[in-house]
Amino acid sequence: MHFRSFRSRLVVVFLGLFALIQATGYVAVSAFVRASARHTVEDELRLASTLFARQLDVRTQQLVTATRLLSGDFALKTAVATSDHATTASVLENHRRRVDADVLMLAALDGQIVADTQGAARRGVEFPAPRLLAEAEAGRDASDVVAIGGRLYRLAVVPVLAPEPIAWLAAGFAIDDRTAADLRRLSGLHVSFVAGRDAGAVVHASTLGAADRATLARGVAGARARGVLDLGGGEHLVRVEPVGRDVVVVLQRPLAEALAPYDRMLLILLAVAAAGVVLALLGAVLVARRVSRPVLTLARGARRVAAGDFDVAVSVSQRDELGELATTFNDMVGGLRERERVRDELERTAKLKRFFSPQLADALSAGDESLLASHRRNITVVFCDLRGFTAFAEAADPEDVMRLLHDYHATIGPLVFAQQGTLERFTGDGLMVFFNDPVPCPDPAARAVRMAVAMRDAVAALLEDWRQRGHALGFGTGIAMGDATIGRIGFEGRFDYAAIGTVTNLSARLCQEARDGQILVSEPVYAEVESLVEAKPVGPLPLRGFSRPVVVFDVLGLRPQPTADAASAAAP
Amino acid sequence: MRLALVAGALAAALTLPSSSLTPVVAGPGDLEAIVKDEHGKPVADAVVSLTSSAAATPRRASPAIMDQQNKEFVPLVLPVAAGTSVTFPNRDNIRHHVYSFSASKRFELPLYIGTPAAPVVFDKPGAVVLGCNIHDWMVGYVYVLPTPYFAKTAEDGKASIGDVPPGAYEARVWHPRLRTETEKTATPVKLAAGEPGQVSFVITLKPDRRPIRRPTYEGAQGG
Repeated sequence: MHFRSFRSRLVVVFLGLFALIQATGYVAVSAFVRASARHTVEDELRLASTLFARQLDVRTQQLVTATRLLSGDFALKTAVATSDHATTASVLENHRRRVDADVLMLAALDGQIVADTQGAARRGVEFPAPRLLAEAEAGRDASDVVAIGGRLYRLAVVPVLAPEPIAWLAAGFAIDDRTAADLRRLSGLHVSFVAGRDAGAVVHASTLGAADRATLARGVAGARARGVLDLGGGEHLVRVEPVGRDVVVVLQRPLAEALAPYDRMLLILLAVAAAGVVLALLGAVLVARRVSRPVLTLARGARRVAAGDFDVAVSVSQRDELGELATTFNDMVGGLRERERVRDELERTAKLKRFFSPQLADALSAGDESLLASHRRNITVVFCDLRGFTAFAEAADPEDVMRLLHDYHATIGPLVFAQQGTLERFTGDGLMVFFNDPVPCPDPAARAVRMAVAMRDAVAALLEDWRQRGHALGFGTGIAMGDATIGRIGFEGRFDYAAIGTVTNLSARLCQEARDGQILVSEPVYAEVESLVEAKPVGPLPLRGFSRPVVVFDVLGLRPQPTADAASAAAP
Repeated sequence: MRLALVAGALAAALTLPSSSLTPVVAGPGDLEAIVKDEHGKPVADAVVSLTSSAAATPRRASPAIMDQQNKEFVPLVLPVAAGTSVTFPNRDNIRHHVYSFSASKRFELPLYIGTPAAPVVFDKPGAVVLGCNIHDWMVGYVYVLPTPYFAKTAEDGKASIGDVPPGAYEARVWHPRLRTETEKTATPVKLAAGEPGQVSFVITLKPDRRPIRRPTYEGAQGG
């Protein structure tokens, strides 16, 4: 569970970082795109305004040229010079149609209107743009965008020369909603013409609706050359360009319109970022798993070690720190295993010492344990026990019983080991020892007999003391030789090394048959030790479990002879 | 001999009291005039005239000529006494259409070649601006004077009026671009017999605004 959360923490951190990077990228790109869109629109507006200004210049120049052409008409000059106002007005109307102008005006040198195509009533009225007259008088091209009677006109003024100036001729083209609409078709921008300043600003012509015009008039009041204006439909980027002394053209484009193509881009970007996050999630999970898997493996290994299983080797193929950790772990487990093995060995040796002589036990524990595997071998089995022990155990104090047993065992135990016998079992007063297994020896029968004689003598001395106290105890021994099945029996935690076979039974029966001080050996045993011992045959005995009576010898004692030296010298 | 004293009381705009009197020996009844602008530059084509308070007997004026040459009026300024007949010979190989809408003489000589049969008689004093309907830049002036005593300044700004009977006169100056009215240039002048008078004017001119002649095309065609 720890590792699960470690893994998810890893995923979360990984994913969080990635998402942060993506988000930062998105925000940066989005900001950049917005700024870029703004720049684009501003550039567009600047370009368009330059274009419009240029176009207006050209048109104005054309208008000036056309007006100059009209002013050169001799008939007009004649009419003006002769103060024939009706004719003058008529000529103006005619000429207005010639150049398709919206208005034609003739002003006297003093600035009063002499004739005007807008109506005879305009006669005598002050010319609406006196500044233009002054400019024309100064010999310059006089033109401007001016408001006349609530309408905007691009107006050009030229002198009527005869050949000196005798009057001023003014021609005007209206700038109205249609003009604005034409410009919008050309540029795709909203176009408005605004006259006047501050509170007096009036939108004269525009592609905007009535409500937006009012907003625009308020917004343009004091507006700089460019900026942002909030009209219906959101923010508009605005550029204000003067087209006349008191008239500006306002170009605008909704920001949203300019951002529309970028919106799709941003959407794609967002999708890419989302896909990236998903991929990162998968990647993070994979990486986390890759990182946590060896950790989990290690953890499992550690749990097994904790449970006492040292046969653990975690397999981590990585060559990184985790791999190093795994190697160290394996080394550590190896160390533990080694320690366990040593401990096991010690334990086993201790166990072996129950059955075998210490030397043999050490040899066994140092060697391989296969010696103890089940097998069949010819062995010599010695059975011995105390005569009258059961009666004694019932009658005597428990302390006495235990003391006797203690003394008894202490007496015979060293003798077993002295002959390197294998102590197969203890049963209270009884004892079973065999030879030639698990480590073979050249003279099992001799050893068995020697041990038995030594035991008889030692126990006889011990029992003498107890007999004097009134306990009728004796010691009998049976020795047989033959094949037995030998191996480990029992269950986990309590194994014994046992020999099973007729030979065991026979030696047990012989032990039963033996009277105090008797060592009954079977015929094959006797045959082996004949030269070593003084023995007398004890007529064939009928034994339980044996169909025929068995020939038995009673070993009286060892022959006085060059004992073990001669035996060992004869062995090779 | 005495010195003619000319006080130059000029137009309000000028303000410079400019009479400079120098005793000069000259032919009898002559007036030496010099016209400069406010920067002291001599002014050509200015018409200086003398009028007498006494009714002077107008002399019979001899006919004058205003040429059209290379699509220009020559001379630019033609001062004439009232009643003078002026012929307008066209020396170009194209036609001209001379006209005037001036109050003192309104006339029109529609497209013609050579010299029109009838000369134009200028009988009313005043400036007559001449134009050509087909050449916008052509400008000429016939300055009609009520007196036979007048002269036009040369490039050096000097003009000389001869054969003037001694007496008290008013000197005036006119120029096509004179900013003020000629009447305001009136300067009393006394001429003694055999003693040349002297008068000097400082005038202010309006900028020259004659329509510009485009030389390339017209020049190629000029004759």
